[in-house]
Amino acid sequence: MAPCPHWCQPPGHRFHARLVTLRGVKFGIFFEMSTPRPFTPEVEGTVLHNALAQARLADELGFDWVWAVEHHFLEEYSHCSAPEVVLAAVATQTERIRIGHGAVVCVPEMNHPIRVAERCATLDLLSNGRLEVGTARSSTWTELGGFCVDPDQTKKTWDEFVHVLPRLWADGATSYDGHSFSMPERNVLPKPVQKPHPPMWVTVTSPGTELDAADRGLGCLGVAAAGYAEQERRTKEYFRRIEQCDPVSSVVTAEVTTLNFMYCHEDAAVAAKAGMGMVGTFGLANSHLMWTREAYPTRAYQSLGNLAPKTDRTPTGSPGDRFGIPEGICVGDPDIIVAALKRWEALGLTGINFLLNCVETIPQEEVLASMRLFAREVMPHFRSASSGAGA
Amino acid sequence: MLSGTATVDDLMAHAATMADFGTEACVLPGAQVFQVMVETAVTGRQTSLPAGLHPTNPPSMVLQAWQCPESPWGAFSIAMGRVQCRSGLRPRGFVQACVVDNADAAGALAARWGFPARVGAVTLDVGYHDTQLTVDVDGARVLDVRALDPIPLGADDVAFSGTLTLAHTPRGPRLVQVDTDLACERAERLVATMPTIDGAALGLHPSVTVTHPVSASLSRGTLTLQPLRYVCRPDELAFTGTESTKD
Repeated sequence: MAPCPHWCQPPGHRFHARLVTLRGVKFGIFFEMSTPRPFTPEVEGTVLHNALAQARLADELGFDWVWAVEHHFLEEYSHCSAPEVVLAAVATQTERIRIGHGAVVCVPEMNHPIRVAERCATLDLLSNGRLEVGTARSSTWTELGGFCVDPDQTKKTWDEFVHVLPRLWADGATSYDGHSFSMPERNVLPKPVQKPHPPMWVTVTSPGTELDAADRGLGCLGVAAAGYAEQERRTKEYFRRIEQCDPVSSVVTAEVTTLNFMYCHEDAAVAAKAGMGMVGTFGLANSHLMWTREAYPTRAYQSLGNLAPKTDRTPTGSPGDRFGIPEGICVGDPDIIVAALKRWEALGLTGINFLLNCVETIPQEEVLASMRLFAREVMPHFRSASSGAGA
Repeated sequence: MLSGTATVDDLMAHAATMADFGTEACVLPGAQVFQVMVETAVTGRQTSLPAGLHPTNPPSMVLQAWQCPESPWGAFSIAMGRVQCRSGLRPRGFVQACVVDNADAAGALAARWGFPARVGAVTLDVGYHDTQLTVDVDGARVLDVRALDPIPLGADDVAFSGTLTLAHTPRGPRLVQVDTDLACERAERLVATMPTIDGAALGLHPSVTVTHPVSASLSRGTLTLQPLRYVCRPDELAFTGTESTKD
């Protein structure tokens, strides 16, 4: 039986987290599968196979996680609509790196909870107990509207999913009578390797969702780049709240990660030119998403994502403005990146995930070279007792 | 990123003519703003926009009506068809159709903010259970939208994207950024149906085809049309084609 890598308490016991970082800040790579036009099988296949090569290299170099998002219909921005399939390939092509399902959209029109449980357990078996399960509710009208989802319901269904999934994984025959779905007594199979179940996370785009994560004992998987001050506030509040959490199961995942970009090159000027091109391209693509509030007024989506476009008139609201560069971006030579990461680490983050490319603006060989340089020159500054890091 | 493919000439059929960009702010107290978000057919997503604008995914349009009991030109109502888009990074509604029930207001909105305003009958009937917007042009009904079952929202829950008009200006054809602020006092979401829409008669580009309404909202408050700050070349991306009105 593989133990869950996070702190466990017997079911029914109120959890009191130990606020210690067991090891240095961890690093992950994060796949959106952004894809340039034209959307031919050759182009889409290249993006997928490039990602798999990055995952294999990340495994070899000592990165801790490889995450894949779930998005639907988001032309160019993300063609990662079947992450469980991508991650199955990653699982069978890697040996050590943890497999991040980041994240499963927890609305029944997109994913039935029984199917989520089955797929995740299968991934955990395929990866020999390396799965991390992210949960989310989707934030664009493009996706919610495409599946005819009522935006007012998604917070409720997400909450229901995260409470039910642990039972489906851990228990034998189980019945359930709930809000968004019900089932007679059945044994959901297979069961995951990690006992009682894999670690669970919540993707955090909007301010406040980190509290939902903390209150339920779930990891905080940041997917929008907050600035230093905002991230520090969120991180402190998360760890304060999780001390008194009422966890969804006996597993508490007390982790906070943020999302960043990575392009590492010996020459800072070269890094800036290529890396900032990637950052700007991502910003443009992100600003063109149709966030739910733009189409459907609702209290359930009160805040746009941090990287969302400005919708209001502001004193500097010129349409000629370009995407700003978020704080602490990991684009530069190794020294620049080490300095940025030290500052993030000092905020109490337990991990940082990196976007490595955007619509293939950076050639694959350069992406792989950037990863190797990062592992060789940056990782050792954060790995006093880590495993596997090396060039 | 996709961009529009329409020629500027194609989009100028009802374009207003502006003598300058020096307008002052205009405050419209007690306004009711009715907004219906609809999805439109993918076939028209690029053909309905100029090269300087990017379509949304999915392609979409907002029908927006203002009922203004007080204005410098007296009470008026206006109904607009706005193709939703992005100008640079920013969400915008490109006004293609605009009908106003007060000739003085229509003239001022065209001359000062570039609205492609035509005079017609615009009626916004607001009840406790239902709201109806009708627009008649040359005696023919071109729009009939009904919305039911209002659900109260917070004042900030309704998102209004910025407004772009396309007008003849002293600098040539320009997309004019119309900044409107609504100091919202009350807002509701409703469920919309659209028994009648004749897009071409309303003034929309022929390639804009409504597929289904997504949502409707009704907001009440003080609406302010701000002085103009930016215009954009319609055939150039906003990153390079934006000009300050002060230049």
